[in-house]
Amino acid sequence: MKPLQARRIRQRITPYLLVTPTIILVGVFVYGVVNGVLQGFGIMPFLGRTELTLDYYIEALNRRDLIASLNYSLYISLTSSVLALIGGIVLSAALTRVQASRRRQLLNIQIPLMTAHTIVVLFLVSLFAGSGLFPRLLFWLGVIDDVGVFPSIIGGASGWGIILVYLWKEIPFVAFYTATIMMHVSSRYGEAAETLGASSLRSFFSVTLPLCKGALTKAFLIVFAFSFGAYEVPFLLGPTLPKALPVLAYLEFQNPDILNRSYAMAINGIMALICCIAALVYFLVLQKERKERKTDE
Amino acid sequence: MNEGKQIAEDSNSPQRGHAAHKQLLKKHRRSHAWVSGFFLIVHLLCILMPLGIIVTWSFTASWPWPELLPQEFSSRGLVELFSPRQGLGLVLGQSVGIALGTALLSTVIATCAARALAFHDFFGKELFRFASVLPFLIPSTVFAMGIQVLFIRAGLANTVLGVILAHTIVSLPYAIAIMGEVTIAAGMRLEQQARVLGASPLRTCLHVQVPQLLPGILSAASMVYIISFSQYFLTLLIGGGAVKTLATVMFPFLTSGDRTIASAYGLVFLLATLVVFFLFELLLKRFANREVSYFEG
Repeated sequence: MKPLQARRIRQRITPYLLVTPTIILVGVFVYGVVNGVLQGFGIMPFLGRTELTLDYYIEALNRRDLIASLNYSLYISLTSSVLALIGGIVLSAALTRVQASRRRQLLNIQIPLMTAHTIVVLFLVSLFAGSGLFPRLLFWLGVIDDVGVFPSIIGGASGWGIILVYLWKEIPFVAFYTATIMMHVSSRYGEAAETLGASSLRSFFSVTLPLCKGALTKAFLIVFAFSFGAYEVPFLLGPTLPKALPVLAYLEFQNPDILNRSYAMAINGIMALICCIAALVYFLVLQKERKERKTDE
Repeated sequence: MNEGKQIAEDSNSPQRGHAAHKQLLKKHRRSHAWVSGFFLIVHLLCILMPLGIIVTWSFTASWPWPELLPQEFSSRGLVELFSPRQGLGLVLGQSVGIALGTALLSTVIATCAARALAFHDFFGKELFRFASVLPFLIPSTVFAMGIQVLFIRAGLANTVLGVILAHTIVSLPYAIAIMGEVTIAAGMRLEQQARVLGASPLRTCLHVQVPQLLPGILSAASMVYIISFSQYFLTLLIGGGAVKTLATVMFPFLTSGDRTIASAYGLVFLLATLVVFFLFELLLKRFANREVSYFEG
């Protein structure tokens, strides 16, 4: 009886041992985020300040350039993630349709997935800067008549360069996140619908796509949160005004006056709040998926 | 017209009707496959063309407006990069070391977490599932600025270890996503067989679990390697300028006027990620197929 009992106890402990390292690391992550947000409320124990104040948030929200930055960041990340979602669905469907081999997926998905955002910036600057390859082509075709007529990718207020960088990266990401599920759903239910006479477009829109909704929502949220909070791309390609929120926050963070940090952290707090809403939606999707798994069983 | 009639006739017998449907389905698919194929090729061009431009620019000596092709080639960019003054060898070594360390740490931790999620029931499982994707959803800029104080106090700021730890935290969701899929696909069947046949847990792990999960382990590791290699902001804040990686060193050059130097950096960066990626792919072909087919066969 004894060894059996020992084994049972061991089995019960195992999962907790398996998740401990992840919990510690995620704990550090959450600590960092919460600590930052608290600094935005003026709580900086390392400077001996422990009183909660809303001053920094009020001050931040009253600044006109902050609202402009918030709008700009939202515009960039919403536009790029909606377009990335659409592009990702098309790419994923195309891969499913041709029943892409691993090699094919490697080229279409893995290469962009493993190219750093900064390198993508470099590509697009070579192509679309004022004297880049694309304006040269337009010049040869006689569409523009001088250097500098083409709106450069760097510093444009429309942010089309930033959006383009995100699309180059995130369309394959959305496909990476959904292609496996889509292939599975399509071979299981999509083909059944087609055998029963549905056109391939109809079977895609009314069978395959709805069944992939969960994965697509999750991919969208991840892409949104990333493009909303990333620093590199808007720093390199964004206009002087308005600055994207992360760029503005880091600018304030670098201020030699350390009390100014609270101000940076208030901006971070606003970013975190918006991303928390995205996280909440993600959580709800997970819950729904769990319920569906249960009814499947 | 004729075809439809024939199918209608054929469907008199259920078996022949089924075959006809299958044939129709096949024809149906072929007619749409070229659209998908065309799209995939266009997408591939969008991926590969910029890579070609980087290679071209890094060997270009002069490429004045509005020429469509470079006028003079030279190896100035790469020579300057690797001149002893720049100390690029050291930076490159450090970047690779950090990325490999992160890949190892993150993959091991993710493998454990994925196993717990796939095969065990434990308290707070759904919360854990959600918590493990948090670094996906909350921007790493917010985390980086918030955690800086803690890392300074813990003596981890400005150290390689601190940078590895921070990179591991933000790459963990990717690794868990990849490992989760592979772990569920592998299942527990073979492992239980080995245990029933009397293999010790250690032996089961080494001879059954690891070979079975190897494809996932390798693809998670290469993914994490690339994420770590590409980090700019996090490395800058935690490494504080003392820990130099290729991503932080090349950053100021990206939008500078000297496109030859910028592209040379880009080329070295791409090579450092591609070489490791294809090394992992090679390993995957070498080991994974052989071992797993041995077990499945």
